[in-house]
Amino acid sequence: MSLAEPTTDAATEPRLAEQPRRRPGAFGRLLRSELRLVLGRRRAIVLLTGLALVPLLLGLVLFVTRDTALAGQGPGFIAQVTGNGLFLVVAALFLCMPFLLPLCIGIASGDAVAGEASTGTLRYLLVVPVGRSRLLLVKAIGALAFAAAAVAAIAVVGLVAGAALFGVQDITLLSGTTVPVGESVLRVLAVAAYVGLSMTGLVAVGLFFSTLTEVPVGAMAATVCVAIVSAVLDQLPQLSAIHPGLLTHHWLDFAELLRLQPDWAVLGQGLAIQLAWVAVFSSLAWARFTTADVSS
Amino acid sequence: MTEKTRPLSARAARRARWAVPTVVGVVVAGAFVGPALVANADSDLPDLTPEQLLDKVAAAGPTALSGTAVYTARLGLPEIPLGDIAGADPVNLLGGSSTLRVWTDGTERSRVALLGATSEYSVVTDGPEAWTYSSDDEEVVHYTLSKADRARFDAMQEHARGDGATGTSGMAGVHGGDLPTPQEAGREALARAEQDATITVEAPTTVAGRPAYQVVVDPTSTTTLVDRIVVAVDARTWTPLRVQAWSTTDADAPALEMGFTDVSFASPPDSVLSFTSPPGASTRDVVVPMPSARDMAQARPDHLEGGLPDGVSVTGTGWDSVVELSDVDVAALVQGDPAQVAQGFRKTFGSRGAQELYEKWVPAEGEGPVPDLDTAALYDSLTTPVDGGRVLRSALLSVLVLDDGRVLVGAVPVDVLQDLAR
Repeated sequence: MSLAEPTTDAATEPRLAEQPRRRPGAFGRLLRSELRLVLGRRRAIVLLTGLALVPLLLGLVLFVTRDTALAGQGPGFIAQVTGNGLFLVVAALFLCMPFLLPLCIGIASGDAVAGEASTGTLRYLLVVPVGRSRLLLVKAIGALAFAAAAVAAIAVVGLVAGAALFGVQDITLLSGTTVPVGESVLRVLAVAAYVGLSMTGLVAVGLFFSTLTEVPVGAMAATVCVAIVSAVLDQLPQLSAIHPGLLTHHWLDFAELLRLQPDWAVLGQGLAIQLAWVAVFSSLAWARFTTADVSS
Repeated sequence: MTEKTRPLSARAARRARWAVPTVVGVVVAGAFVGPALVANADSDLPDLTPEQLLDKVAAAGPTALSGTAVYTARLGLPEIPLGDIAGADPVNLLGGSSTLRVWTDGTERSRVALLGATSEYSVVTDGPEAWTYSSDDEEVVHYTLSKADRARFDAMQEHARGDGATGTSGMAGVHGGDLPTPQEAGREALARAEQDATITVEAPTTVAGRPAYQVVVDPTSTTTLVDRIVVAVDARTWTPLRVQAWSTTDADAPALEMGFTDVSFASPPDSVLSFTSPPGASTRDVVVPMPSARDMAQARPDHLEGGLPDGVSVTGTGWDSVVELSDVDVAALVQGDPAQVAQGFRKTFGSRGAQELYEKWVPAEGEGPVPDLDTAALYDSLTTPVDGGRVLRSALLSVLVLDDGRVLVGAVPVDVLQDLAR
């Protein structure tokens, strides 16, 4: 972040948090510039474009092959896509969830603080008249905004491509019941919202790793590793006792929204686990960031 | 880190900050572990004798309810790691844990759904009609009775209503795609309890957050594989909430366990209990022959399939009874009926190599409740060869399939079946 504003006490390095004098409006300005940076830089645009291409490519492939012998094959919700464009959103999210989405979110959140540290801009940021806690909050909001943009990119492109290629009809739920178009769209949007909220825990983990190191690649890799290790542990029946608490365990519970009567307790449980990860790792990130010495 | 140069107070302040994540961690752990510990608190239910309890259950009858049940099987069958690959499929009930969602109006309409991660297998029963829907292959199977049977069924329903009994089992027991539910299994177990078993009442427990009595059915027989059956009965509605079947071969965990994790006793909405085939789904109609009154009397839940044809004999009584079927062409059964396969779902691949490979592994199959699984291979992996046939050993049930076409089934060890077969 190169938009650090000059302050009267710019010369003294802050020893602990809240040292720069607070100024009204500084937080808002910092947040705006952070969002511009996180969503506007070339890296972010490339990542978001890549994610947006997934539903587009998937839709085109399914459109081209829909009259061949290969139609209707594939994992998850692929088979339903050709019958109803709304399922393109669900299928694309389902395909991106195990790896692509955590990867992009790991890149953005792992870079949040460590990226500034590696380019030497972090200490300029610390002299902005905004405390370290608030600075971390700005970074967290930036990373969350990227996660939301990533899910939205898949969902919006999926919705548009699906509607254009296959049309939007009433969807048939997993239970075999058909619900009207309006409710169908709502349900699919709820799926996207649940997927987005499921990523918050990973954002917090990435933010924590980002405060530990000045090497952004390290923080990004560690974040992606957490998601992958969690998914691997989730496969081991020997560890079934810890499964409900794993970061990735409830990710696929979005399917609950496609059942006849969604069990809100199941969805609530998934979101509660994300909240727990957010609470633990954002407090760790806060403790680390507000006590760390920043020399670069 | 330049720890040394800092004043003491600053260092203390730094340390205090690390206390925050520690506290948060403890609070989070407490929030998730705490309720589980509190839930085991004892409830003070008045003491009841086993007879009083059974009377209450019988008098209450089935009620409308909806809930989530978890089914766990530890039958000691060879591992078939299909659950994650095949999605929601009744074959998963052979081992491991499955989640079921249950809705019933307490009379003759119900819906039971077996949940997979991103799939669902539903069984909807409406009086003499039933549908199964599998979201994986979008196939509807519609089970109906023939006209004559339908008339007989309606007459029986009238009769049953007069008796105060129910007709729920009318269709449910007939077709093959049925899914088990705790309340029905519990009722079944308690209804049979008075024969050849001692019944005791254990300390009350909590199931699905509700106080429940525990009835223990202990077979008097010592030969049977069933050690005891424990039924937890809701103390307010007298609905069985959990059934555990313990095997003599495993004293640590029940071989079969099915219980509600969440239940409410409100009438489910009509939209849940009705079924219309979704557009685009393949529909198959199956006319189910209704078993004769004699078959119905003989039919017991031990059977792999309800409604058995002639050529069935039962030896032994109560828990030791062994059902013998003669002239069963098991080979044809496991290969599937070729006529049915023709109209079934076949996978086609773009490449010829893939097609050949697929057909090699999935020969003439693709039908019934196990869509993509070769039942012949399943049969081979579940059973072991013995003298003159094959046996299936499980914690609760043994099946002996003889080469001469006889099949013996019973809740007894395999050697008992072999002695009988001689």
